Amino acid sequence: MELNILHLYPDCMSLYGEYANVAVLRRHLENLGVSVTVKAPLFEDAPDFGGADFIYMGAGTEGMQKAALTALRPHTEALRTAVERGVVLLFTGSAMEIIGASVTDAAGKVWPGLGLAGFTTQETDRRTPHDVIAVPTLWEPAAVGFMNKCSRTAGVETPLFSAVTMGFGNEVQGGPEGYVSGNVFATHITGPVIVKNPAFAALLTRRLFERKGWPLPIGAGIEPLEEQVYRETYAALAGLPKNL
Amino acid sequence: MRMMLAIVLCKLLRFAGKLVGKGSSLPGQYALKLCPDVLRRVRLPERIIAVTGSNGKTSTVEMIAAILRAQGLNVVYNAEGSNQVEGVATLILSHCTLRGRMRGDVLLLESDERYARVSFRHFHPTHFVITNLYRDQLSRNGHPEWVYDAILPAIHPETTLVLNADDPLVSCFARGHDPERVKWFGLDECSVSTKEHHGVYHDGARCPVCRGRMAYRCYHYAHIGHYSCPQCGHARHAADFAVTALDLGAGRLTINGRRDISLAFKSIYNVYNILAAWSVCALAGADEDLMAGVINNYILKNGRMVTFRLGGHRGTLLTSKHENSIAYDTNLSYIAAAERPCTVIVIVDAISRKYYTGETSWLWDIDFERLNAPHIHRVMLYGRYCRDIALRFQYTGIPAERLEVGEDIREAAERLREQGEEDLYVVTCFSDRDKLLECPSVKREGGN
Repeated sequence: MELNILHLYPDCMSLYGEYANVAVLRRHLENLGVSVTVKAPLFEDAPDFGGADFIYMGAGTEGMQKAALTALRPHTEALRTAVERGVVLLFTGSAMEIIGASVTDAAGKVWPGLGLAGFTTQETDRRTPHDVIAVPTLWEPAAVGFMNKCSRTAGVETPLFSAVTMGFGNEVQGGPEGYVSGNVFATHITGPVIVKNPAFAALLTRRLFERKGWPLPIGAGIEPLEEQVYRETYAALAGLPKNL
Repeated sequence: MRMMLAIVLCKLLRFAGKLVGKGSSLPGQYALKLCPDVLRRVRLPERIIAVTGSNGKTSTVEMIAAILRAQGLNVVYNAEGSNQVEGVATLILSHCTLRGRMRGDVLLLESDERYARVSFRHFHPTHFVITNLYRDQLSRNGHPEWVYDAILPAIHPETTLVLNADDPLVSCFARGHDPERVKWFGLDECSVSTKEHHGVYHDGARCPVCRGRMAYRCYHYAHIGHYSCPQCGHARHAADFAVTALDLGAGRLTINGRRDISLAFKSIYNVYNILAAWSVCALAGADEDLMAGVINNYILKNGRMVTFRLGGHRGTLLTSKHENSIAYDTNLSYIAAAERPCTVIVIVDAISRKYYTGETSWLWDIDFERLNAPHIHRVMLYGRYCRDIALRFQYTGIPAERLEVGEDIREAAERLREQGEEDLYVVTCFSDRDKLLECPSVKREGGN
């Protein structure tokens, strides 16, 4: 069993320790007997979307996000083809905005997105860093994390989270958050989101196995320490006031 | 009249606040409400020096104050660290005559990097020192480029910038500024320099101007070093004030090839803080002999390093800052360079003193892999976030049998008192360090 992970631009799109998402998913897969190869292209490289089973990009600064978008644009068709073939894709933090129709920066310049989804993003001059508790549409229990964004995203019809009970959603406080369509997952939650949420890691693992037609043992991939960290974080956050 | 009332109000509130031990922001806050442009109206000293950046502000400001006072100047500065506009207003107005003339030869300000533009809306520094910009409290600061954008509007065309030449982002402040009004400080390639980058992440990998791949001739630490962008030409400037030789182990440095300085605290941070202070004081006309004398005898009061005894152990507590991976990395390097067998204790109990946060992503930015060394026999992970740290340590390559995980810091100290004699190193934040140092079995020796 072999899987290829394509980690896009980790040298500049890993602003909040996002590389951990790849490290932890890789460890989970290897524990399940999968031989994992990770490729980490730079802006100057042509990413091997055709050979990838899992594509990941983390958060970057507003400037780096535009640079990543510019670097990816010539490869949009290859990425679109990979998505149509069911590749599992996860873009987190500001990388989420890249897959939409456009990003309008704080100065008013419109940056056309990759167009994998129809939503649009407007940057603002105010950041809303905050802890997050989110209600997933595809798994239980609630997700936890942190968000460090300065934007509002409109037009998401299929959010990854139906609401955030703590923090800021795509457009409004408490509203729906992220985006999901088939095997394409995106969220503004920054940092090691799948490390903090073992159920999310398990869902991604399941999708990767399903796509390959591999059987997945029940309860596979459960790491007691990750589960415990999740429970502690959720319990502590759930006891806090919810307002921004 | 309104200005005078604001000054009187500020002085009264300051006096009352001192009596009850209250903070230094409130008087300025009320004075600004009464007279919003009071800071424009008052007459300030000819020299106004401001210091901002991610790290080293307080130490640099204290060193500048010590040098300029030794020079015989009356220096007024925010020693209490109230570095936002309200604190700055309190400082200025409480040193003003009722007619609005501030007493003192030099106004010296530690300025919060995010709010400098608010502080300098009504007046501007003659000299603005910017020490460095890197990942620090990102849950509050966003990211270094966001902080850069926040500082930029605070820079007045007439201000002389005193910039860290070795920081590619800080050096961008010179773009568009009169070159005659930019002075650079930096470290020559020396014993601490490496050809390879060290660290979990590399914020200098891309040029901050054009996003091309940055080339480095050498690194001093993290992304601080000698860089040049082959694509757009953004490159390190030659330093007006340079550390031309450095022996960190022996605690010696040389400035501009002619002034030897002894380091009371052998840290690369301290080297840059000294250099920044030296640069701006030299620009203010301080005498080199006097500066060298002050720095040689300067005792850092920041409490970064504390030595203690715990049972048969000799301990060193190295203060980092939570949410600041570079501060951690610097201390981990110090421990990794030690040769005697030791145990390392990492404590993360309260990331913020005020509230709980689940934001632990910064733990993944710390290069804990540096602790995977033969002389480090054991790493103890303690405090409320012990399991978050343990999860991070699963990816360091350090064998699980060398790790110990627990919440109760006192219980760990008690067990250490009873067992062993190896050296101890403690890495933690100001906010958590007393949780160990105030354990009954810990006997402090040095530091503050």
